[in-house]
Amino acid sequence: MKRACIILALAAVAIGAGCSSIDRSRSLANPNTPARTLATQVCSNCHEIDGNSTSPNFPRLAGQPEEYLVAQLSEFRNHRRADPAGYEYMWGISRSLTDDQIKGLAAYFSAQTPSSPGPGNPNLVADGKQIFDSGAPTQGVPPCSTCHGDRGQGNGQFPRIANQHSDYVVKQLSVFQRTDQRPDGAAMKVVTHPLTDQQMQAVAAYLQDMPSK
Amino acid sequence: MLWGRLGRKLIAGTVAAAALVPLLLILAPREAQALPAFARQTGHNCVACHAGGQFPELTPYGRMFKMTGYTIGQRALPLSVMGVMTTSRVKDTTKSDNPPADFAKNGAGLFSSGSLFIAGKVTENIGLFSQITYDNYAEQGVAGDGMGATSFKGHTSADNIDLRYAERFIDANRDLIFGVSANNNPSVSDPWNTAASWMQYVPVPSPSSSQFIDGAAPYPGYGPGGQVAGLSAYAYLNKLLYAELGAYKTANRGLSFMSAGTNNLGTVKLKGPSPYWRLALTREWGAHNIMLGASGMVSDVYDNPEDTSDPTAFSRRKDQGFDAQYQYLLDPHTVTAQAAYMTSKVRYSDAMANQPSAFASDALGNMGLPNSNVSDTTNILRAKLTYVYRAKYGGSLGYFNRTGSTNTLNQTSGYDPTTGLITSDPTGALGATALSTRVGGNLTGNPATSGFTYEAFWTPVQYVRVGLQYTSYSKFNGAASNYDGLGRDAKDNNSLFFYIWGAY
Repeated sequence: MKRACIILALAAVAIGAGCSSIDRSRSLANPNTPARTLATQVCSNCHEIDGNSTSPNFPRLAGQPEEYLVAQLSEFRNHRRADPAGYEYMWGISRSLTDDQIKGLAAYFSAQTPSSPGPGNPNLVADGKQIFDSGAPTQGVPPCSTCHGDRGQGNGQFPRIANQHSDYVVKQLSVFQRTDQRPDGAAMKVVTHPLTDQQMQAVAAYLQDMPSK
Repeated sequence: MLWGRLGRKLIAGTVAAAALVPLLLILAPREAQALPAFARQTGHNCVACHAGGQFPELTPYGRMFKMTGYTIGQRALPLSVMGVMTTSRVKDTTKSDNPPADFAKNGAGLFSSGSLFIAGKVTENIGLFSQITYDNYAEQGVAGDGMGATSFKGHTSADNIDLRYAERFIDANRDLIFGVSANNNPSVSDPWNTAASWMQYVPVPSPSSSQFIDGAAPYPGYGPGGQVAGLSAYAYLNKLLYAELGAYKTANRGLSFMSAGTNNLGTVKLKGPSPYWRLALTREWGAHNIMLGASGMVSDVYDNPEDTSDPTAFSRRKDQGFDAQYQYLLDPHTVTAQAAYMTSKVRYSDAMANQPSAFASDALGNMGLPNSNVSDTTNILRAKLTYVYRAKYGGSLGYFNRTGSTNTLNQTSGYDPTTGLITSDPTGALGATALSTRVGGNLTGNPATSGFTYEAFWTPVQYVRVGLQYTSYSKFNGAASNYDGLGRDAKDNNSLFFYIWGAY
């Protein structure tokens, strides 16, 4: 047993010393860690390797515009984006990332193929589609499609919202409406101001399983 | 009246804690460093890794952090400290021959224990979680030993140690985590909270000063317990299948650091390597995740840790466990349901088996007690349902049930068949060679103990938790009433427990 332990311990040290590869690193403070490695070894824990996260606590990143992802990671890094989901996880993840790593991560997730997490609440989908396509004119709410694209695909600084988890969308709409924790989304504060909780739920239900046109 | 006094103390404690909280809130930076060493390393808040912020239960991300060897993040100061203040009160202190000794510190405010953690990323693939704990009430004296029965001695010892190496091979088609853990407690390497090492209400102060709180009630556990030296290899494939295989031996010689601070008598001595295995199936969907698992261990434990010269003087213990955990994690809600069931079979050494009882009669007055069993089976079920709101306010309901074979070896109380009274004079009674034990005694020889634990807790800031637990017993040491033969009922042990936990 003693000999077996020593051999195993030595083997472990040898493996640790010899096989440690930066291509499989989980080090967030090494500027040489490739973005792809960070995406697969670390980000995938919550966002999945293809950016289509399973848990609605974490947004789906697949197919997000690169510009939007770069902006968000930068906002986390400089602590301007301070919603709880952001600072609880992402301040730590982003704190030592280099600009190049941020660009690389954005490119990686932007290149992934989005998929639907599954149907939203069927009782709300029709109302949600109405808001997405036409807004709520009597309340002064513009259609989502105006900025986020007619397929919700996002554009530049405007995120992809199609196929986002409905719970995540509702949470972020609430953050925009009720807090100043996402100053980069000041425009959304105006847009979401008149929305009722029911309307937020509806548009989120529609977006989650939004059909490709 | 007892409860009234405790109530006032609890209120005073809560007021003190409440007064402390605003100060902590002011001092706490937004990016508060959760359980500090790992939080500094990752920059995460506690809730990233601990479900609803309730340690030690892990979130899916926390489990991945552990399985990948505590290596996510960047090296930081690998030190944390933890302190626990408690008070507990048992329902009845009158049914005792010596209340000041049997219920020492009952209702007293205590600094119960403190821990130092050395934990963090070491290399790209190697990380460490280790805990050294000072237990302020580790040892209670007995009358005439110089300390006295109402005095306690503090003690520092190695608590949990888990040094691991991990590698992850992940691409679009495959996700394989492979690792090796050197640890000192079977299942401490396990990432699920239903594993024997982790399924517990925390904090757990020393049972010697809070002997009937939940932490002292039955929990599933493996034969050797902790402070042994083990090595295990594990793999987690496609977030679906987890498998671990390990072996444990006595933590002595070069591995004595695994049991540091524990004296020779207290250190478990194992005959040969003791194999440990673990399998788990996992699935995550939406905000839900579930684990179904099984585990087992076979260990040969020497009867006398101080004398292992007789190679036959050991008992063989086989533990077989099944466990399951369900979590629902969606801000602001955290729901967890856990269940663990373990069957343990012990085959005693010749020196322990088939021995005459120290008592002359059993609980029914039957003369001629059978000799002690050759083997025993014990089953322990633990189940717990927890809800936490906003990682701040939580409550839980726990259930425990231990059943098992009756064995005169377990009997620590018995009747004198001549007088029909419980033995109090070992020299005067027919055949009885032992005094009956009050409070902790067992008249039936059966280990059955069951009950519920209710808890409410508040986490004002992420590194301070204030909790109140109530544990009620429907059975204790084999009986609902008169379990010690001296009139004490299971419900007399119902206990209220209040704690303030802090870490930095």
